[in-house]
Amino acid sequence: MVNIAPTVDPADPAGSTAPDLARPRPETTTIKDTPGYTVFRWVNATVLTLVAAITLYPFVNLAARAFSSEAGIRSGAVTVWPIGFNTTTLMSVLEQDLFWRNYLNTVVYTVVGTAIAMALTTTFAYVLSKKYLKGRMLLVGFAVFTMFFTGGLIPNYILVSELGFKNTIWAIVVPQAINVFNLLVMKSFFENFPTELEEAAAIDGLTTYGIFFRVVLPLSKAVLATMVLFYAVWFWNSWFPAFLYMDDPSLYPVTVFLRNIIAGATGTGEGLSDIAVQIGANVKAVTMLLTALPIVCLYPFVQKYFVSGVMLGSVKG
Amino acid sequence: MRITRRKAVAATAVAALALTLTACSSGGDDDGAPVDMADKMVGAMEDYGVGTSFKATEPIELGLMYRDHPNYPLKDDWSVLKHLEEDRNVTFDVQSVPLADFEQKRSLLISSGDAADLIPSTYAADVETLTSGGALLAVSDYLDYLPNFQDKVEKWGLQEDLDRLRQADGKFYVLPGLHENPKPSYSVAIREDLWADAGLEDPKTWDEFADQLEVIKEENPELDYPYTERWSINGPMEATLQAAAGGFGTEAGWGYGDGVTWNGSEYEYTGASEGYKELIAYFADLVDSGLLDPEGLTQEDDPAKAKFTTGKAAAIGSNDQEAVVYRTGFEEAGDKDAKVKHLVVPAGPAGNIMDATTGGQFESGIALSSNAAERDDFVALLQFVDWLYYSDEGLEFAKWGVEGETYTKDADGVRTLADDVDWGGLNAGAPKMLNTDFGYYNGVFSLAHGSTEDLVKSTLTPDVQAFLDEMNKKDVAENGPGIAMDEMQREEASLLQTNLQDVVMTATSQFLLGERPMDEWDAYVAELESAGMQTYVDTVNEAAGVNQ
Repeated sequence: MVNIAPTVDPADPAGSTAPDLARPRPETTTIKDTPGYTVFRWVNATVLTLVAAITLYPFVNLAARAFSSEAGIRSGAVTVWPIGFNTTTLMSVLEQDLFWRNYLNTVVYTVVGTAIAMALTTTFAYVLSKKYLKGRMLLVGFAVFTMFFTGGLIPNYILVSELGFKNTIWAIVVPQAINVFNLLVMKSFFENFPTELEEAAAIDGLTTYGIFFRVVLPLSKAVLATMVLFYAVWFWNSWFPAFLYMDDPSLYPVTVFLRNIIAGATGTGEGLSDIAVQIGANVKAVTMLLTALPIVCLYPFVQKYFVSGVMLGSVKG
Repeated sequence: MRITRRKAVAATAVAALALTLTACSSGGDDDGAPVDMADKMVGAMEDYGVGTSFKATEPIELGLMYRDHPNYPLKDDWSVLKHLEEDRNVTFDVQSVPLADFEQKRSLLISSGDAADLIPSTYAADVETLTSGGALLAVSDYLDYLPNFQDKVEKWGLQEDLDRLRQADGKFYVLPGLHENPKPSYSVAIREDLWADAGLEDPKTWDEFADQLEVIKEENPELDYPYTERWSINGPMEATLQAAAGGFGTEAGWGYGDGVTWNGSEYEYTGASEGYKELIAYFADLVDSGLLDPEGLTQEDDPAKAKFTTGKAAAIGSNDQEAVVYRTGFEEAGDKDAKVKHLVVPAGPAGNIMDATTGGQFESGIALSSNAAERDDFVALLQFVDWLYYSDEGLEFAKWGVEGETYTKDADGVRTLADDVDWGGLNAGAPKMLNTDFGYYNGVFSLAHGSTEDLVKSTLTPDVQAFLDEMNKKDVAENGPGIAMDEMQREEASLLQTNLQDVVMTATSQFLLGERPMDEWDAYVAELESAGMQTYVDTVNEAAGVNQ
């Protein structure tokens, strides 16, 4: 496996001015930054800062719009700082009981959904990664088939209704429990898992389950973290199954709630008031901010596994 | 074309899928005979008729597909629900569907046979393709139980329009919301102050409008363009094209619809007609002579509004509600001189005419699930639907609420909202809203927001009333006979029309923007012909029973 650990140092070049006691005396310095290298580092820093700014700008702009007045937004002058600061839209969203209930639903659906999905995906992927398993290709084909063909909307709906899943959490978490793409990624990860480690564990007396839970999984944190992130983001953003299978607003995840608010704000203005005009102007910004923030906050905590994980799995000899 | 193996596999799969779908859709039962109603009289009134105040003789609970509007989310303690329960003995088992993507879920629920008994907020065209599955009730079989509906249809001369809803099986499946008079809304708004400064009056014709724009441009050099446009997300200036189309004897923009126009003896293809050409040429000329902002044909609504309310343009597409938004925009920008006038749509070369869609008197209506006919309180259900959506009493209740609670009525019949109730700024500053806090003025219970001229006007400002009166002096383009296609015809027609409409919409943009000169019109018509225009028109005429 090719090691592609990122080695970009985001530290600014100014940091090199910190006193370093182990530094050789100036007259004996053999390796000195050439002017060219200094220039390179400055250019590097500038370019990276620019890239960061360009990437961040849309998000900052979104945040600024979320707190700007309708007139400010309409004039098109909002950039990184709110114009005509107000929290009308934010408060109107936040003060609805349904918003909080739906937000809680989202959290529950995400946690339960991710847990179920991880349990099923890891076990299925591990089984599929064993080349000596008879009928393995059949199982793989079974999964891959669903990537390309589905029963269609109405048959799916009837199936889920007949299973009695309507208006329950199961309608959301069960049909989405195995994402075939994630499954295949995990399968190839397990395929590259050194068989020597498993053999060693077997010799030491572990059963298949023991190997899986006590050797394979602890050494697969990288892929597990990635998958948790994928699934969590997926369940967090998912609105369609809930929209289909829930007939009661108190069961919606917050995505359906927000989607509906946007539709109301952009649709025909029945009973349009000043507040409605204000809300119409920046409800998209507010809702995107509200839904994106928690999952954005999750990234820094999971990200360390991406880096450290790539190092794992090497075997001597 | 080389057929690769992958393509072959894909084609087979598509064919298999199509086969499955066809198999599914042919399962509907086609017995149309009304069921015996004698054992479905639970809760029904014996002597129900026009003028009867409905009250179920015993409590009934009806399934209701509720389109939940986020601006007034459903609340269990709403006055409208309380009064329906106490005064009418009716409660609901609510199947809530969010407004966003309402159409999609409605189709799904109907197709899977899971739809609630009452399906309001529905246009006949929305469910046209779903009727063959047998999940919707052919309401036309039960008109005898709907006396108020029949009464209004007769009084307002809507029988012909109603017959146009009939499908190939001779039945219709949606009870439309009714309007006593057409309720046009879209037009162009102008800066009245600039017009007055230039000594101009409201334009009577589109040609006059073009001349006026020329004057406005000269007198006000600070304008980027005298006229900008909006509602251009899916196609160029669709609202204004529709509003103007009638005067050019054609249909366009949002009103383009099925792409055929009745010429008095048969249907002809709209996009290839002389009227359509004149309409497009008119606006293309405005763009060409620098009077109409070319960005107006592609931009989103917000920048368009900004151009108008910051004084960069002196005219813009509008409707009666948006005109208020523009006024607020100027106020907020601190521009006190600016006055906004929502113009009566000018007349065109074909006359002072509204297109048939704008001049239509049907609103979104209500469909019933076939399951409703199985209920033992089916007759009471029909009576309730008739009372709430079509009786004078029901219409007033659904729009204004209960006299003494939400509004008062003086000797002349003028209704005033109670002091603590507001709707649409009629009682600005009041703490409660008629829809949010009481559940009235709610599209689910009030299909056409009043239906009668009296009720419709009761919540409109005087200038909008004047606009309506003036608009309704126009003639309405003749609507041809109903086009009742069977399933095969519809399938073929929709394939053709999708292609044809693509060609028309692309060419419309190109002509308007000047990317394609108008003298290439014949080449464009040839494109339509090769895309199967004649076949399509023939199918339509055949389905409409027009002998050629």
